[in-house]
Amino acid sequence: MINIIHTFLQIKKPAALATIVSTKGSTPRKTGSKMIVTSTGALIGTIGGGCGEGEVIEKALDVIKSGRPVTHTVDLTSGLLYEDGGICGGIMHVFIEPLI
Amino acid sequence: MKKEVLYHKLSEAILNRTAVSLVTFTEAVPELIGKRILLLPETAYGENGVAGDLTSAISEFCSSSFSEQHTSSLDFHWQNNRYRIFHEAFPPPPHLIIAGAGHVGEPVAHLGKMLGFSVTVVDDRSSFANKERFSCADEVCCQSFHSYFQTVPLKTSTYILLLTRGHQFDVLSLQQLLSREERPAYIGMIGSRRRIAGVFEQLRHDFPEETFTHIHTPVGLDIGAETPAEIAVSIFAEILAVKNKKNGEPLSSHIRELAKKGFRKGQKRCGNRK
Repeated sequence: MINIIHTFLQIKKPAALATIVSTKGSTPRKTGSKMIVTSTGALIGTIGGGCGEGEVIEKALDVIKSGRPVTHTVDLTSGLLYEDGGICGGIMHVFIEPLI
Repeated sequence: MKKEVLYHKLSEAILNRTAVSLVTFTEAVPELIGKRILLLPETAYGENGVAGDLTSAISEFCSSSFSEQHTSSLDFHWQNNRYRIFHEAFPPPPHLIIAGAGHVGEPVAHLGKMLGFSVTVVDDRSSFANKERFSCADEVCCQSFHSYFQTVPLKTSTYILLLTRGHQFDVLSLQQLLSREERPAYIGMIGSRRRIAGVFEQLRHDFPEETFTHIHTPVGLDIGAETPAEIAVSIFAEILAVKNKKNGEPLSSHIRELAKKGFRKGQKRCGNRK
């Protein structure tokens, strides 16, 4: 993954990097997991899939446009509200930054 | 230093199996957010825009996280400012040694790479131990098992699989491995009951009985594996269980009963949704 990030920094294509920087409770992936989102919405890697990842992809596209990093909180504790099976029951903080 | 150069140095350190970590400012004054500091055993490099004294202060603050190679978010206070930083360690990958470059060795090497191991294949036959057959491996050593295991570094992150073509090679390998002072995290040996009994019989005179209890043999978890690929899955199920200190039983054996009780709709157990 580090090599891919390095390549993105070199080729200067608009993209964002999302990293799980802390978690509470049960989350699909652990701290340090990473995902790159390109300006077309293509993904490299995963931070756990499902609606939580969907939220992060949306935020990542905003970050690519604004060029400003944000920390987004994904809350998976709301139980049955997610219809796709996103019922892991934890919270994760995801740092999303432009790859430039 | 530019971010790009910092990542280049990071890749180099990972390749050289050097302990390295990367610090990211996640909460700070806006111009610092997303800036990085690279920590190496002797030095620290701040990205352009990170003051030298801040780099030194962070390097000192993270020294215990660095030596434990622990990844976490931390609060850091310095000169009346509060920073939230993400310290990400890149510990050297675990080392998988596959002794025996036969049928089972192939899918095991592939799966090992997929699971993030640094993979070495050893065999004394050049027609088997070669880079063409094991293009995915990090290292292919064509030498005798006996001489390889005499000198290879054994660490708490070393995993050894004896998948050799005959029980005499397992005996030769174990004679070396068991005489070493260092202990690997795992030794697994493939074989039938008869073969295993034969190996232990030959080693019994030289080593105390309890030595053998640490050897995982027959290798793997009982999932009915038969083909080389299936055996590879069974082997890694066991290696991961050892590595992650779990017992390898189905997750359903605990969760199913709890899950029957259902979810309490809408109730939040922790945290604050923003």
